[in-house]
Amino acid sequence: MSAVHSGAEFALPMALAGGLALALGGAPLGVLLIARRMSLVGDALSHGILPGAALAYLIAGPDPVAMTIGALIAGFVVAGLSSLLARTKRLPEDAAFAVFYLSALALGVLILGRNANAEVVFDLLFGAAKGLDTTALLVSAGAATATLFALALFIRGFLAESADPVFMRASGLPGGLLHLLLMLLVALNLVAGFRAFGALMTVGLMMIPAAAARFWARSYIGQAGTAVLISALSSGAGLFLAHRFGAEPGATMTLTAASLFALSALVGSNNGLLQNLPGRTHLEG
Amino acid sequence: MSLVRLHDLTLGYERRPAVHHLDGAFDEARVTAVVGPNGSGKSTLLKGLAGALAPLSGRVDRSGLKPNQIAYLPQDHGVDRDFPMTIGELVALGLWGRRGLFGAVTHQDRHRIEEAMSAVGLSGFEDRALGSVSGGQLQRALFARVLVQDARLILLDEPFTALDARTTDDLIALVKRWPSEGRTVVMVLHDLDMVRDTCADTLLLAREKVAWAPTEQALAPEHLLTARRLSEAWSDGAGICHRDHAA
Repeated sequence: MSAVHSGAEFALPMALAGGLALALGGAPLGVLLIARRMSLVGDALSHGILPGAALAYLIAGPDPVAMTIGALIAGFVVAGLSSLLARTKRLPEDAAFAVFYLSALALGVLILGRNANAEVVFDLLFGAAKGLDTTALLVSAGAATATLFALALFIRGFLAESADPVFMRASGLPGGLLHLLLMLLVALNLVAGFRAFGALMTVGLMMIPAAAARFWARSYIGQAGTAVLISALSSGAGLFLAHRFGAEPGATMTLTAASLFALSALVGSNNGLLQNLPGRTHLEG
Repeated sequence: MSLVRLHDLTLGYERRPAVHHLDGAFDEARVTAVVGPNGSGKSTLLKGLAGALAPLSGRVDRSGLKPNQIAYLPQDHGVDRDFPMTIGELVALGLWGRRGLFGAVTHQDRHRIEEAMSAVGLSGFEDRALGSVSGGQLQRALFARVLVQDARLILLDEPFTALDARTTDDLIALVKRWPSEGRTVVMVLHDLDMVRDTCADTLLLAREKVAWAPTEQALAPEHLLTARRLSEAWSDGAGICHRDHAA
């Protein structure tokens, strides 16, 4: 597979722009997901988009537009059904997601099984930077724009519903709709990144910088801003490394983010490990 | 005059009643205590009054009150202490009913938040993170949010549990003021001395109504004894309640 995934095959400026778009849209969503204790939902959704992309591949061949649309539809279906089932209170949300994403994954494997080689599945989950063309870049930019617009418009609702869902339900907030919108935005951002960086690696760029940001800021805005910065840094450095050493960019970007997470956990100004070493002087009040 | 009327109200979960065929009314601008043993349906009743739980049968007549005119502080308040939010922002959620998703927060709104924080003794705590305050301070903040809501009906479920004496006294002083402002308060309490001191009326509940009257009458020894004898009636083999058809 190394011949197919040669990192030298992608255009660095275009990949950098794609990575930046992903950072702008994905990282603030990651902060919200972590705050809502839904860190693994992105992971589940990233598997959930597989049957849509696979079906599109079956119908239209390796056509980027068709696969993006297919993935988007599958992501929306999995996100919508899981949220709806969770809202009925018959099942915890993570269980609902497990049911749907595993079913979707199996469906994807079944569809691809007889019609494609393992390479296609590998590309879907882990990415192929050669897939990053103008269309993919436009999708990424569009997803980032839509996400930032939706966040600006609904952030009050997202935050209120996350912090105190009981109160907000009693106050008449359409919590179910906001929750669904959040899930759709997550799906949109995963689809925006999956062709170039892989569905799973895109989740990494969404969640790991968001987790790191908790070691630097307390408020949502502070955490979201920091997460975007860390995500953009990870994209930039990861892409540069991939380009330089011929590695797969999704992996180098995610590992760069992981390194920045480790650094943040160690020296972060908000409850970093070094701040709480035993024997450190305590504060006055 | 009554603000909320219950008509043969049955509330419960999975078709099993926690409050059974309850009739009565909560008078306007009064503080009513809901008292009863554990499992007697007190919290369920408050949920039903708040509109957070649909009746299994019967109905709640709220005199046309809109959701934003009802403030409900449940026993498990549901606030995520780890959420990246400040105490000031939590209190500001009380504006939701008036400002909604998109409405701008006015200068007057900010003033109202400041006043509420000051009334519960939390001035200067606006920028503190939710996770950095004590349980008592959080409860004060939740009361401040109720103040900001400016609601006509206030529902409090065991609001003073695990609070120290000073915090309890401060918050009870607030509750006592509300009837004079025209607000109706329904409050689940366990401390009968506090009920006698604070609440004009009392509903003694043991899934069914044992007594609903001015506090001294409702808390008569024979009523308390009856309430104690009525135990939880959750049975896996329970049949269908036929009272609806008999009525």
